[in-house]
Amino acid sequence: MKFLVNPSKFNKIADYVFKPLLILSIILFALGLLFSFYLSPDDYQQGSTVRIMYVHVPSAWLALLTYAIMTLYSIAGLAFRIPFGFIINTAVAPIGAVFTLICIISGSLWGKPMWGTWWVWDARLTSVAILFIIYLIIIFMNLSFENRIVREKVVAIFVLVGSINLPIVKFSVDWWNTLHQPATISKLSKPSIDPSMMIPLIIMTFAFIMVGLAIAILRIKIEIISRKSNLI
Amino acid sequence: MKFFNKILFFYYREYKLNISGFQDILTNIIFFFVSIFIFIFSVGPNKETISVIGVAIVWTLLLLSSTLSLKKFYQDDFENGNLLIIHLNGFSYGFIAILKTFSHFLFVQIPFLLSIPIACILLNIESDKLMYLLVSFGIGSLTLSCLGSISSSMNLMNQRNFLLGSVIVMIFSVPIIIFSVGIINMEENFNSLINILFGILLIVFAINPWASGLCLKLSLENN
Amino acid sequence: MIIVKDLSVDRLDKKIFEKVNLSLTSGNITILKGKNGSGKTTLLKAILNIIEPSFGSIYWKGKLLKKNLYDFYNHVTYISDKTSSLKKLTLKDNINIWKRFFCSNINNSQIETALKTLKLENYLNQKVGTLSLGETKKLEFLRLIIENKSVWILDEPLSNLDESSIELMKQTFEDHCAQEGSIIFSSHQNPGIYVTEEVNL
Repeated sequence: MKFLVNPSKFNKIADYVFKPLLILSIILFALGLLFSFYLSPDDYQQGSTVRIMYVHVPSAWLALLTYAIMTLYSIAGLAFRIPFGFIINTAVAPIGAVFTLICIISGSLWGKPMWGTWWVWDARLTSVAILFIIYLIIIFMNLSFENRIVREKVVAIFVLVGSINLPIVKFSVDWWNTLHQPATISKLSKPSIDPSMMIPLIIMTFAFIMVGLAIAILRIKIEIISRKSNLI
Repeated sequence: MKFFNKILFFYYREYKLNISGFQDILTNIIFFFVSIFIFIFSVGPNKETISVIGVAIVWTLLLLSSTLSLKKFYQDDFENGNLLIIHLNGFSYGFIAILKTFSHFLFVQIPFLLSIPIACILLNIESDKLMYLLVSFGIGSLTLSCLGSISSSMNLMNQRNFLLGSVIVMIFSVPIIIFSVGIINMEENFNSLINILFGILLIVFAINPWASGLCLKLSLENN
Repeated sequence: MIIVKDLSVDRLDKKIFEKVNLSLTSGNITILKGKNGSGKTTLLKAILNIIEPSFGSIYWKGKLLKKNLYDFYNHVTYISDKTSSLKKLTLKDNINIWKRFFCSNINNSQIETALKTLKLENYLNQKVGTLSLGETKKLEFLRLIIENKSVWILDEPLSNLDESSIELMKQTFEDHCAQEGSIIFSSHQNPGIYVTEEVNL
């Protein structure tokens, strides 16, 4: 597991893993799109629009997961002085921002036929919008500091402070009565989703994870190289 | 005893500094009132509309105008080396952050607190709501000072865009705005909402010395 | 009192200086010499524990400096190359603020004589922003007398000063050493001050 904290070992594993990952993600995406468009049933209430879920839910999960990973690596970077944490922080933030953007756009596309508006000011939507802005602030911070040591640590502190938003996003549907429906899939209780919809959702989630990982590996490698040559 | 004297004269120093730059604080307050005028001109002088959205306007503009003075929070003391001297005089970085937060609260936010009653007259807010507004702003402004301390210490070494600091304050002040405007609209829930506001204040107050102290240390180290 | 052992400082994987040794006992003057960018200010800041060294250790009165930090700060005056006096306020206000903030037990007549020797007594009610560069520099040195501490750490104290002021500084340094104080200062030129130790960076 040392490749998770050591840049040179990460490079080795990444070289080994990158191509299979790419192929796997293409296969999974094709399979997932096939399942979600043709091999899954319509919802009895929502009709065909339920298929937006297969993009919306995985991207939302990954937006949260990316931020959680950044939080963990910020702690590693600040508390245990592992510089790889800062590398991950700078590399992964745009990916999380894109996932959040996909989540917001697909959500508002879903909301128009279902709720009648593109956007509602309810707790879940607002907190996700704030998550997106936090991602943007992290990206801008990465661009606007001149001194690298200050930049990476300040960004890590900001990530930790901003992680207050994570539980708010996750539990906003339980804490407040919102228009957004509560979670239908959870580990602790039996999921309230039909298996025929569950399968494409899981395939799409894995496809998203694979694509995210592939892009993350590329970005982390760029970051490591540019640090070694003192470009930034 | 010597330590308390030092704290006392730290505030004496801040007082002298703020008195000499008093026109800055006055400009802030003028900005606040002018933006109230502009808001009323754009909404139209309809009494009922204004009294409905009045509290929200006051809170939003207070937030905006208190972020205007963020640049001065640490920047001056950082650039002329006074932050270092204060640290060498026996205050740890986190403690400097706490002292500075209270100084910002005293010399920047309290003048706003005093100008709220006048704003209430302009916006037709009933006088029994004024008390709620003052209490919520009293707690909320200290929270804003803490957030301001965090964001301006983060951006000490950021020469390119300081506006990021204001954005950070605004994004984290969303819950404060929600609950403190909620106080006025739901008077029966007054106590519970005040407790929530107080809880937010305590969380931010606990994060503040850690985050700003670390950022101050980093900036001084790499200056 | 201060012992620096094998101190090295890195910045962004670039070595600024390596394995610096120096020791400062009471009554001594140490000078740091070096070109621009050789790390004089960095070394002073490392001694003050503002910059964390990548290797090596600093001792204060036989203990590690980090364990004994605030006791060290109680005995040290640091004057950086920046103007730390507040430009918006008058000289009098500045002196008052420093005097109270450092809880100094210096009385007014001592400060007046110091002002007279520094030739600043006519500017008392002027704002610091109106003074010239050398005069603000001299005002900084007033802090040495106000703080009244035993270790002086000075960053480029002799730049921007005219010859009579440099003579005055020499005199002040000698007086301070005679009172069991110790001084460490950096300079890029040859100051002509008697020093007990010279560190070349």
